[in-house]
Amino acid sequence: MFDLSQTLALLQFGDSAYPAGGFAFSWGIEGLLADGFVPSRGALEALIAEHLTFRWASFDRVLLGRAFRAESLEEITEIDRLTEALTLTLQMREGSRRAGKALIGVASKLGGTRAHAYRQHMSGDATLGHLTVVQGLVYRDFGVTLPAAELLSGWTLVTGLVSAATRLGAIGHIEAQASLATAREVLADLLLAPVPADAEPQSFTPLIDIAVARGPARQVRMFAT
Amino acid sequence: MNQLAKDTQSKQIAAARLGIGGPVGSGKTAMVERLIPVLMARGIDIAVITNDLVTAEDAERVRRSGLIDPARVSAVEAGACPHTVIREDPTLNIEAADELERRFPGVELILIESGGDNLASTFSRDLTDFWMFVIDVAGGDDIPRKRGPGVIRSDLLVINKTDLAPHVGVNLPKMHEEALKVREGRPVLLTNCRKGEGIDAVVDLIEREVLFRR
Repeated sequence: MFDLSQTLALLQFGDSAYPAGGFAFSWGIEGLLADGFVPSRGALEALIAEHLTFRWASFDRVLLGRAFRAESLEEITEIDRLTEALTLTLQMREGSRRAGKALIGVASKLGGTRAHAYRQHMSGDATLGHLTVVQGLVYRDFGVTLPAAELLSGWTLVTGLVSAATRLGAIGHIEAQASLATAREVLADLLLAPVPADAEPQSFTPLIDIAVARGPARQVRMFAT
Repeated sequence: MNQLAKDTQSKQIAAARLGIGGPVGSGKTAMVERLIPVLMARGIDIAVITNDLVTAEDAERVRRSGLIDPARVSAVEAGACPHTVIREDPTLNIEAADELERRFPGVELILIESGGDNLASTFSRDLTDFWMFVIDVAGGDDIPRKRGPGVIRSDLLVINKTDLAPHVGVNLPKMHEEALKVREGRPVLLTNCRKGEGIDAVVDLIEREVLFRR
């Protein structure tokens, strides 16, 4: 039997209609599509798996867990600064901060005490507010467990990628659902493996990083990343 | 209680936020370009956000216009969803506006220009205090009769490019009358942004209805 309250929270916060600006970020899909790297649904699914396996699971998830457990503004700030330092490209850093600030802004207005305090704390520092850190902070505010917070983080990344690919015309609406089903399996496998206590954040997604970094140089661009 | 639970006094949001929406090519950016010097001449401290659909062209156009400090112009990408970014999920625009307020204390009015959209486009009240919808005579004099939400629900409807009316077979007085009728008498103003005609009346209304100055 599943926990009804947690499940309903997951449906609300994991809904693509949840207003946190996610629709404006393609996390490299737009650029990769423009450069011919997404010729098929299979290629898209491979990219999603790459995002999940080599960045989200080993980097975002580790930092999210730390932020979730943090008990002071100083601790969270330190995790945020580490995220900034370890995120390779300027465009990825900016995108992560913009997405994080949108999410924390909504959570703060909805009465999240941790979200409100950290939003005030970080307002004078343009390098703070990374999405994965904010997710850890905000989802705890919302009363979800750490495993549920990890699931939300991974799933909102997946839906954002698939939604961007659909709006860019790379796949149709039926293919999108098939891609979501494929990504669900990848995400489930990753979530079943616990994060080691001594895990250090690491990522290696050069193709995606380069695609995001090239964003500002593109003449036609609809997404923030 | 841990430190995170401490609340701190939030800065009061001071700037009014004014949305400018309307179909593609109706003259929204031209409206912004005409409003900026008149607002500034009247001593109003302003900033601008643009929501370009596929490029940052509008933002660059305003930045390069020489009318306003380029740092006061922000571009927000709409992810191919011009409706969403101003209505269902305006969070990115709200954050951009908050950021402009932080960077420019004392800013009184933030103009938020939507990407070109259709007649169903409306602004969230969480994002804007007041919004105008810009249509133009060349889009057809039947637009008011179609009664789209943008035409009906906006705080101000602007019919732009009035100079083109005789060239596109539009009876402008009739179009104006029909617009007032479908909006049940709420404001409808006529402009020719190319020559700056009608802009003072728009700014008068902004001062009166948005900034409560007049």
